[in-house]
Parts: sequence; structure tokens; C-alpha cells
Amino acid sequence: MLQHLPVLPLLIPLLAGTLLLMPPLANTLERQRRAGTLFALLQLAAAVALLLQVHQHGSLMYAMGEWRPPFGIVLVADRLSTMMCVLTAFLLLCVQLYSSANEDQKGKFLHPLLMFQALGIQGAFLTGDIFNLFVFFEVLLIASYALLIHGGGAQKTLANVHYVILNLAGSALFLFALGIMYGTFGTLNMADMQQRAAQIDANDVQLAKAGAMLLLVVFGLKSAMMPLHFWLPRAYAAAPAPVAALFAIMTKVGIYSLWRVHGTIFGDSAGDLANIAQPWLWPLAWLTLVVGIIATLASKTLRELVANLVIVSIGSLLLMVALNTREATAGALYYLVHSTLATALMFLLAGLVVQQRGKAEDRFVQSRPVAQPALLGGLFFLGALALIGMPPISGFIGKALMLKAALTSHQILWIWPPILVGSLAALIMLSRAGGTLFWRTRGENTDPARAHPAQLVAVVLLMLSLPLMVVLAGTITEFTQLAAEEMRMEVKSGA
Amino acid sequence: MSVLWILLLPMMGILLPVLFGKSGRTPTAWLTAIMPAAALGMLLQMAPMVFSGQVPMFTLPWVPLLGLNISLHLDGLAFLFCLLILGIGLLVILYARYYLSDTDNMGLFYGYLLFFMSSMLGVVLSSNLLQLWLFWELTSISSFLLISFWWHKTEARKGARMALTVTGAGGLALLGALMLIAHVTGTYELREVLAMGDVVRASEYYPYILALFLLGAFTKSAQFPFQFWLPHAMAAPTPVSAYLHSATMVKAGVFLMARFYPVLAGTEYWFVVVSLTGMATMLLGAYIALFKHDLKGLLAYSTVSHLGLITLLLGLGTELAAVAAVFHIINHAVFKASLFMAAGIIDHESGTRDMRKLNGLWNYMPWTATLAMVAAASMAGVPLLNGFLSKEMLFTETLHQYTLGALSWWIPLLATAAGAFAVAYSLRFMHDVFFNGEPIDLPRTPHEPPRYMRVPVEILVVLCLLVGIFPQFMVGDMLSIASQAVLQKAEPGYSLAVWHGFNFPLLMSALAVGGGLALYLNRRHLFSFQDQFVDHDAKYVFESLVQQMINRVSTLHSWIDNGSLQRAMFLMILLALMVSAVPLFNLVDAIGTHPQLPINWVVGFCAALMIAATFVTLWWSHRRLVALIALSVVGLIVSIAFTYFSAPDLALTQLSVEVVTILLFLLALFFLPQKSPTIDSPLSIIVRDFSVAALFGSVIGTICYAMLTRPLDSISDFFMENSKPGGGGTNVVNVILVDFRGFDTLGEITVLGIAALGIYKVLAQMLVFMPSADSKGYRWSKETHPFLLAVVSQSLLPLALLVSAFIFLRGHNMPGGGFIAGLITAIALIQQYVAHGVVWMKGRMPINYLGLIASGLLISTLSGLGSWAFGRNFLTTWFDHFHLPLIGEFELASAMVFDFGVYLTVIGATLLILANLGKLTTSERLRDGGH
Amino acid sequence: MEFTFSLGVGVLTTAGIYLMLRAQTFPVILGLTLLSYAVNLFLFASGRLTVNGAAIVGQSQHYADPLPQALVLTAIVIGFAMTAFVLILSLRARSDLGNDQVDGRELPPERSAMEEALAGKIEKNSAAQKKNKRNRN
Repeated sequence: MLQHLPVLPLLIPLLAGTLLLMPPLANTLERQRRAGTLFALLQLAAAVALLLQVHQHGSLMYAMGEWRPPFGIVLVADRLSTMMCVLTAFLLLCVQLYSSANEDQKGKFLHPLLMFQALGIQGAFLTGDIFNLFVFFEVLLIASYALLIHGGGAQKTLANVHYVILNLAGSALFLFALGIMYGTFGTLNMADMQQRAAQIDANDVQLAKAGAMLLLVVFGLKSAMMPLHFWLPRAYAAAPAPVAALFAIMTKVGIYSLWRVHGTIFGDSAGDLANIAQPWLWPLAWLTLVVGIIATLASKTLRELVANLVIVSIGSLLLMVALNTREATAGALYYLVHSTLATALMFLLAGLVVQQRGKAEDRFVQSRPVAQPALLGGLFFLGALALIGMPPISGFIGKALMLKAALTSHQILWIWPPILVGSLAALIMLSRAGGTLFWRTRGENTDPARAHPAQLVAVVLLMLSLPLMVVLAGTITEFTQLAAEEMRMEVKSGA
Repeated sequence: MSVLWILLLPMMGILLPVLFGKSGRTPTAWLTAIMPAAALGMLLQMAPMVFSGQVPMFTLPWVPLLGLNISLHLDGLAFLFCLLILGIGLLVILYARYYLSDTDNMGLFYGYLLFFMSSMLGVVLSSNLLQLWLFWELTSISSFLLISFWWHKTEARKGARMALTVTGAGGLALLGALMLIAHVTGTYELREVLAMGDVVRASEYYPYILALFLLGAFTKSAQFPFQFWLPHAMAAPTPVSAYLHSATMVKAGVFLMARFYPVLAGTEYWFVVVSLTGMATMLLGAYIALFKHDLKGLLAYSTVSHLGLITLLLGLGTELAAVAAVFHIINHAVFKASLFMAAGIIDHESGTRDMRKLNGLWNYMPWTATLAMVAAASMAGVPLLNGFLSKEMLFTETLHQYTLGALSWWIPLLATAAGAFAVAYSLRFMHDVFFNGEPIDLPRTPHEPPRYMRVPVEILVVLCLLVGIFPQFMVGDMLSIASQAVLQKAEPGYSLAVWHGFNFPLLMSALAVGGGLALYLNRRHLFSFQDQFVDHDAKYVFESLVQQMINRVSTLHSWIDNGSLQRAMFLMILLALMVSAVPLFNLVDAIGTHPQLPINWVVGFCAALMIAATFVTLWWSHRRLVALIALSVVGLIVSIAFTYFSAPDLALTQLSVEVVTILLFLLALFFLPQKSPTIDSPLSIIVRDFSVAALFGSVIGTICYAMLTRPLDSISDFFMENSKPGGGGTNVVNVILVDFRGFDTLGEITVLGIAALGIYKVLAQMLVFMPSADSKGYRWSKETHPFLLAVVSQSLLPLALLVSAFIFLRGHNMPGGGFIAGLITAIALIQQYVAHGVVWMKGRMPINYLGLIASGLLISTLSGLGSWAFGRNFLTTWFDHFHLPLIGEFELASAMVFDFGVYLTVIGATLLILANLGKLTTSERLRDGGH
Repeated sequence: MEFTFSLGVGVLTTAGIYLMLRAQTFPVILGLTLLSYAVNLFLFASGRLTVNGAAIVGQSQHYADPLPQALVLTAIVIGFAMTAFVLILSLRARSDLGNDQVDGRELPPERSAMEEALAGKIEKNSAAQKKNKRNRN
């Protein structure tokens, strides 16, 4: 079994999704819930096992159909990819639990779709073949299209129309880029590509560049880089709470791919093609932060606010990608995990607020109090601290790490002000939001709708993960350092 | 180790009141007091060590990458502050027991209080910069929680939010400053940093460091222009005001300045900024305090003023001034805490804090009055009280200032003026409240408070007296070690005597007292003068400023993001165009060395036709049917192109997909509005869009041409060689699909399956517009299922199935395969739907398409998993040749099973999509009741 | 030949992009379809052009590069799934938003489409919002 460990994080969700569509599991919602949770647990276990394996014995490579690279498709499990898998699996578990409360009654196929979503995300993390990356992008996209519409409603439909059309155009660009890649390098395996990039023929350089830059646009769209970010606030604000929470990892897929392609294939080692994305990445990342801050201050509902804060965090991450030093990547990785968890937590909380606040939903207007003010208020408070980046929750470590990484570069004046101002904006808006949602209330909450235990378990799991990240910050940063090291050095065949 | 306990005990203590808060007020208070008391015990037990000049420390690595360690040290300054925090803290706990009412959630209150206590202890004990900042932020957070303790009051909410915003912003600035310091010195350990003051002051970053650092300190210590948040923090319960907002938290700012005195002080910048800010704050606070009718308001502004005084002292930069600053920190903490408690008692027993109503309380609560007046006298700086001593020191120091050159005499003058105002408002506090006639309609008739509520005040007031009379004996040693810690060297010679003989400082004090008396006696005129100015409530000013900012930003945002997909799309294309065009500028020559194929007229014709069709689609994109027909022409030519360029599999696939897609479009057309309001965008937009599109098209075309004319050295020879021996098939494309890159195919059919699920969800619970007539108003034909069609299609079905089986089986060696076969089958079945209608089909072909998809996926996956049994990797294929009589040589390959899964999935997905779309108009349509 | 091929790809791309920038769903979907033709041809071109050299072992001397063909096949299938989804989604949008504009509104106004979509709710809460404005500060 150990031999097949790297493929498990993909096989489990694939089989899970399929089985959840067939009798006997498909018959009752109860079965779907139980089985779904079980599968999610299995997957988490597999991911963690893989992580430990990789951490102790180095990267693993799994050749599909035993066709040796660069000819066949390989999965590459190194520290970075497995860490992302663990994050995804944990998120999936929480989301799965949360949906088991009542979300899955609002439409069909929620549980299988969640599994397929996870399949796409983890595939994108694990694959070492660039066309296979495209395929998994499509898997996670189509799953997200289907999830976004879950529950129905004009708002969702409209957001979905924008999201789908933009991403279809993005996929087209992806294929153009892949065509150029194969047309110039004659290979699809990323490691092979990295080697060929180093000694590319002089009159192919410009073509390869064009391809690589198109990929920048594609991954930029995924990660909501300005000016490709317009889909995000609407989609995330419209999505059902658990779906939005799972989406928290999707923007990170874009960041991850940027690291893999522009940080590694076209990284320092790529000769004429070294760091070609940098000149574009700097200003775009910076603008992303600024636009994110503006949007944050303009938010009208809690979900909108959190979504816009996602853009801010993406801006910070993109800056770190542009910086592309070992320290920057290590810090960014820590921050990436933190912000994913914090965002997911806030989306789930927003879901509970909407559920308990009646007509006003999560709009920043005076309304009746929520049914469980102490509980939700307390969780919101902690979540807010996390998003702002205030101690004692993990946000401050991530922010500080990124600021520190910037210190050594000349770009400090680019990086520091927006990140610090971003925190301030978050502070202002979240304190206002909390004050309005939980304190400035009118009348009594008459309906007895309390949060479902399953929902609470999910939220609390996410909540606890954050302080844990603070306590274990030493270990985690050590790990991310190694991961960053590996990513920058490694020829991605892992072997 | 035990240093850690001083911090840890109160932290653990947080839980006690929170858990047992329901156990009545007195027990809760006792529970709360245990841990701080223990910590205080530890502190005192370590006192000898500290006084003997040692510095107990504790260090534990935490986040090396960040330079963040758990690192504590207990030097003189830390010791002094710990004593204040724990000592006054305990008194406040006792006081709060009587102050809070039964309705308040006492456990929570005490929990917050201890939370603050531990954070503050953390600040003063930290010897790691980032850890210091961590606790610094925690004090802001805990103070937010405490101010908003009565959150149902709007002033509490707003006050808390304002305090958090201001101090939070300062915190961010401080973080920047500390990281820069660490960057310059190369260490995050405070004790090492303190030794490298010269390095920091010399570095290019120094101005930035100082600016950010002071932003942090000033916001926390409510220095001008950030003083406005502090008075509004008074919405908190009085124990909090006494503890946080006079004795300890607001001192964090000045503590920080004292802490980094050796690192940052002693430069021109430092002197000018710090001392002038301090001076301004001192004057402003003192002046405003005089006009406040609210008891706590007066005290708040007096606190601001005294903080200004301490800042001024630190700014003056002489060593004695620093000593005086430390001394005044102690004194102010003592007398101001007692005053706040007294004010709290008055409020508690009389029901108001308005000095226009509170008069002549002497007759009701003489004992409290005495205490309050002693403390107030100390605040005014009356001899024989501790306030007097530090104020004298201030005056002395102001006289030794030459930094302002010939105008240096301003400093003592202004200091005296501030002193006069201090005397005035202290007088007002004493006279207005306790004498000055009878109380005016108080809510309650005031009386002495419960015995133990007064004890804390008594203790503090006694301290005022003792320190005032025997300074050297009381605080001499502590002051000296603290000053040493601040200066990082032996403290200068000074004498803590009450009487220094007749000298200039004494004269200044006298002037201050006299002036104060005069001011107070003529207060009427002053008040009437002051009334000319409208008194802005900082709360509202601040809130409205934030609100305006947000409104501005919102308009800006709605300008950036107008919610239009077109704009988003345009920007994306534009970006793609820019990034991909730039490299081409450097591409010397598009034509490469690869030999080109000759063109012939057939190809030329097809190309021309395709281009024409494309433009038809473009032009009549609103005339839907026309557009669709043109589109299908394009598709056909594409598949012809594939055939011509020797890609038969592609051609077949393209063709079958084309058919299904067009079918889908036709079905969809029925539901789209017949006439859609063709809002033709303005010509300018059309030109803009078209030019961008054309540019991008030309870029792609150029790249395509450049690519086609360059030689390619690719990995594909491997596939040609290994297809037969390794994959057991001669059709290399198919072998790649089901074997070499079978994983892609697995993903691809998964996409297909998920798409079907998604479409199912979209179609479910969708209400359809069902036109009864076409655009020209002709009604749809009555004959829904023409007989001829029915007959023909029925006879066609078996044939179609046979073909698909054939295509499927030959797939591995000849063009074909599961996908194409699947589509053909699907089309055949769709035809049945068209011919016979849904109901007819339902009766005869009860297929569960969903099940088909799922089982297809499952089969493909399992066929891949089969290889595990032989210890091979996922998707490893197996094949062999068999010989059967009659049939002869034939091949079996596990890849065929995989391909069969593909076949099933394709049928399932296609039918699920088409059939359900077709069913929309019928009674068989989907209903999405969840489950 | 190569030139003609590239020309075709360029034209298809142009038309596709232009249509995707339109304001109504149907043209946009047409555009997507055209663009996907362009993409498939382009991807196919990455293996260069070969005449009568189908990649079937033992049929001819020089073979067309089979790998891009496999990729295009995958791309076609995925493209089909996506087109189907977006087409049906556009129907849903038409029924939910009452028109076939990509921004869910007849004419480009100031109000964002999202507000438009929420309009119903917004009316309901307008009272609350006014009150809220007054209470602010």
C-alpha cells in the first residue's frame, strides 16, 4: 500500500464521489452524510500519512501506468504539494460536516460534488505533468460551477454566469499556452520542461516567453490577481457557506501553480527564460493589494467583506511570489495555510449569521439579534483577530514573516505599506461589522433556530486549528522552510 | 524560571473567574485575586535579587525563522511596573467587587481584567521585540473588551472601537519600527539591542524607526494629537478607568519610550518631537480638564496632561529628567487610581458624575471626601504629597534646557502655566464636589460606601502621604534601580528630599498654586469664554471621518468594479494581449527553418469557406439560426482539416461532438427569447472590442505560424515505438488516450460526468419560458412526432448500435474508441426521443443515466486499480493475444475495460444533458426537492 | 499551407474573442465555441502539420505527432462538457433574471448587476437602511 500512497489523495475522492452517486449510498441523505464524512476522514488520513512519509524519506514520484517520465504522467509528492493536500483534506472534512447539517437539503449532489472538488484541487497539487494540470483545473472548475449554483437564486445564477464565462476564456488561454509549451519544448513533464528551458534554442526563446506569460494570465485569473479578480467577490459572496469555505483554497491553487511554473520551471535556473514573470508580477501584485483594500472598505455585507479580504491576502501572497526568495516562500506558505483556514472559518460563521439573522442576513444594518450572540460573537471576535493579523491568533506570525522577508530586499517600500494598511483596513471594517452584527441590535430573536451541532463542530475545528498554528509555529515554519528550499532547488521529477 | 511564573500565574488565573463566575460576587473576587496575589508574592520574593542588581531571565525558542522567542527579564523598570500592575490590580479587584452590580457578568469582567493584567505584565517583562509587540497588541485587545463591557450603551461601543482603531494603528506602526530596529541591529533580543543604541541612531533607517516608534507610543499614551480616544474610553466601568486608563495601560507608551531610551533618545529629532509633543499634550489636557463637568472627564483629561508631563520629561533627554519621569510614573499611578476610585464611589452612591449637580458632599461622605481631597492635592502638586516631588523635579529640569536657544525660557514658563491649570482643576474637583452649596436633585441621597470599597482608596492615599513625606525611604531604592534600567548605567546623583531650600523650582510651584487659585476664582469668565467655542465630541468627529472615508472609497470602488462581465473580460483579454505581444516584438523573424507543405486549391477553398462562415457567424450573431448554421459549417471544416492533416480520430470525435453540440444549441434556441433586445453597443465600443480581438487573433496566428515553421524535437517518438509492444495497439492516439496518458482520460470523463451533474442541478427547479409560437407568430406544428421519422429512426437504431460497437472494438488499432462510440450510441438514442417523445421512451428504455455515468467512472477507475493486485502502479495495463477456433486470433487488453467505462460515461452524460433539456417542456421534467 | 492554417486560427480567434465581448449570452457562447475551434487547431498545430501520415503503426513512413492529437481529443471532450454547461446556465440565467444579458440587466446602468439581482430584497430593507443611516454616529 505504501507504494501507492501518492495516488490515494486522488483515488479516495474519485471513488467517494462515484460511490456517493450510486445505490446504496445515494439512497438516503443520512447515508450520504455518514459516508461523506467517513471518506473525508479517510482522505485526511491518507494525506497526513503521505506528508509524514515525504517529510521523513524525501519526495515520492508515482508514475501512472508505470510509464517513466517524461513520457507518462507522474504524480510528485514533495513537502509543498503534500502540505497543500493535507490543508485541502482538512478543509473538506470541516465543509463536509457543516453541509451535513442542512445545506445538503437545498439541492442535489452536494456531497459527491464536494468530493470531486477536492479531487480537482488535490490533483492540481500533486501532478507533475502540465497538461494533466490543465485537466485537473477543469475538474475543479466544473465542480465549482456546479457547487456555486447549489441552492439556486438569481444572485447565484448571475455570479455563476460571470464566473463560468471568465474561466472558460481562461481555459482557452491555458490551452493556447500549452500548445506553445509543447510546440517549443516538445514535452509536457514539468521537470523535463525545466531542464529543456535551461538550454532552449535561441529562436524559440520568444515563443516560449509568450506561452509562459499566457500562463501567468491563466494562473492570475485563478488566484484573482488584479485585473482578473472581478469574479471573486461576487462568486464567494453568493456561494453557499460551505462551498465558499472550500473555495478558500481555490485561489491558492493559482498561487501554487505560479510557484511551480514561474517560480520553478522559469525560475532562477532557466537561463534566458529566468524569472520572466517578475516585471509583470510586481505591479500587478501591488495593485491587487490596493484594489483589495479599497474593496474591503467598500464592503456592505459580511460575506462580501471576507471575500474582499481574500483579495488582500492574495495580493500579499503574490508579492511574496514576485519576491521569490527562500524566506519569502517559507513565510508565504505559513501565511497561505493560515489565511485559508481563517477565511473558511469566517465564511462558515457568516453562514450561521445569515441563518440566524432573518431578513437582514449578513448586511451591515441594524436588525434583530442572532439566536446565539455569545457563541457566534465570540467566534467572530477570534476569527476577526485572525483575519486582521492580531495576536494571539496565527495571522500576526504570517504577516510578520512576510514583512521580515521583505526587509532583505529593496522592494520594502512596495511591500510594507500596503500590507500594514491592509491590516488597518481589516481592523476598521471588522470592528464595525462585529459592532453592527452583534451589538447594534433591535428587538428580540424569536425563532429558536440554533446552529446545528455538526455546523458547530466544523466551525470549532477550524477555530482550534488557528491557535494550534501559533503554538506549533516553530515546527511549521521549519517545515515550510524545507518546502521552500525543495521547491526552489528541485527538478520536479522528485526522484 | 520564576520570572515566567509571574506572567503565567495571572494568565492561568483568567480561567478561574470565567469558570466559577456564577458562584456569587465575593467568592468570585477571591478566586480572581488568588493568582495575582501569588504572582505578587513571587515578585517580592525576587525583590532582593533585583535590588542587588541581578536581572532574572527566562528564554525559550519559539519561531526561529521569525526571531520570535519567549524571552523574559525582570530588571528594575520591569520590577517597578510589575509592582504597579499587580498591586493596583489587586486593589481594583477588591474595589470592583463592590462597584459592579448583580446584573453585570462578574466572572467575565474579572476574566477580561486578568487577561489585561497578564498582557501588561507581558509587555513590561518582554525582552524579545516581537514578543513585546505581541503583548502590546493584547493590551489593546483587552482594553477593547473592557471598554465595551457595557456594550448595550452606544458610547461604550463607539469608545471601544475608537480606542481599538487608534491603538491598533499605532500597534502596526510599532511592529514596523521594531522590525526595522531588529533589521539594523540584527537581533530581536532586547538586551542586545539596548547595547547597540549607537548603531541604530547612526543607521539610515533611524528617522523612519523613530517616526513609527513614536506613533506607537503616542497613540497608546494618548499624546497629542491622539489624545482624543482616552476620554471616551471612560465609558468603561470605573475600575477599568482606574486601572487601565490611568494607572497602567496608558503608561505602556511612556514605558516603551523609557525602555528604548538608550536606543533612540539623545538626538535632535527625539528632543524636538518628544518634548514638544509632551508639552503640548500637558497644556492641552490641563486646560480642557478645567472645563469638564463630568467627574471622570476631568480626571481623564488630567491623565492626558500628566502623561504629557512624563513624555516631556523623557523628551528633555537629561538623565535627571529620565529619573523624574520614572518617579512621576509611580506617583501619578498612585494618586490618579485613588481619584478614579473616589469618583467611582461618588458616582455609585449619588447616581451622577455631573459636577453641576454634585455639591457639598462633605456633609454626606466626609471620610471619602477627605481621601479624595488629599489625592487631589497630590495631583495639584501640594507639598508633603508625592505629586509635589516629581513636579518639582520637572521644574528643576525645565530650567536646565538650552536646546531652544534663546527661547529656552519658554519651557519653564509653559510648564508653570500647565501647573497652574492643574491646580485649578484640582481645586474645582475638591471645591465643587464637596462644598459649594447643596447637591442639586441627585438620583439618590449619597452616603459613605461599604467599608471595603473604600479600603483601596485609603491604601493608595496613605501611599501618597508616605511617599510625599519620606520619599527616600519609600521609593528611593526602587527609583534608583528603575532609572538604572532606563539609562542602562548608574543613575546620576539626586536627592529625594522634601525640602531643597528656597530655590527657583519652589518659586515656580508657588506661582503655579497662586495662578491656579486665581484661575479657579475667575472661572466664570473662563467658562463663558470657553462657551464661545462649540465643543466637538471626538466620538462623532472620528466616526463621521471614518464614515466619509468609507463613502469616498465606496464611490471609487463602484467606479473600479461596476459589476460588468464585459469589462472584466475586456481587461483579461487586454492583459493577455499585452503579455503575449511583448515577446513577439523581440522575435526577429516569424518564419523558421522547418520545411513547409505546399498549398493546394482544395485547402485554399476550405480555408476561404471557413473564414467566410466565421464572419457570417460574427455578423448575424443575433439571427440565431443563421449563426448556428454558419457555426456548424466552421465545425465541419475543422473536422475536415483534422482528416486532411492525418488525424482521423480527431476528425471523428470533432464530427460527433459537433452533431451533439448543434442538437443542444437547437434545443436551447427554443427557450431563448425569440427576439432579444439587441442593444448594439456604441460604435466606439464595437471598434474597441474588435481591434483588441483582431490584435489578439493576429498574435495567436503569428505564434502559430512561427511554431509551425520551426522544427520540433519532441518526446512522441517514444509513443510510436512503444505503442504496439507496450500498449498492445497500433492506433497510437488511442493507446495514448487509454494507456500512456490514461490518467488524463480518466480526468476528462470525470469532467464530463460532473458537467452532467451540474447541468442536472441547473435544470432542476428552473422555470422555463415556453413560447407557443415562433417569432413570426406561426404556432408550432401540432404533429410533435412525425410518423415517418419514427419508423426510420427505429430501424436505424440497431444499425447505429452495431456501428458504435464496431468503432469501439477497432479503437485500439484503428481510428475509433470508446468516446466516439459512446457519442454515436447517444445520438442514436436521442433520435428515438425526437421521434417518439419522452413518455414513449420512458416506457421502453428505463435507463438511469446517472447510474450509467457513475458506473462508467467506477469501471474505468477499477480497471486502473486492477493492476494493484499484481503490485503494479495505478492504470498499468495488461494485454494478451488469444486464439479461439472459428474467430481466430484476437486480443484482450485491460485498456479495453477502461475504454468501456469511457463509453458508458459518455452515453450517460450526453443523454442526461440532452434528454433532460428536452424533457423540460414535458411532465417528465426534473424536480429538485433536494433528496 | 502553414500560413493558411495560421490565418484560419487567427481569424477564428479574432471572431471568438470579439463575440465573447458581447453583452448577450448567446453571442458569447458562439464566441466560446469559435474560440475552442481555434484552440483545438492551435494545440493540434503544436505537433506541426503532416499529410497522409496517420499515427497508426505500420501504415506509412512518416507519422504525424500523435501526442498533440491525444491532447486535442481531451480538449474537445472537455470543451463539449463546458459548452453544454454554459449553454444551459444561460437558459437558467434567462429564467432567473428575465433577460439574456450577461450582466442580467437590459442596459448598463450605474447600479451593479448584483444589486439589481438583489433588488427585491433591497426594497424590503430600505426602511431599515434609512433608519440605520440616521442611527449612524
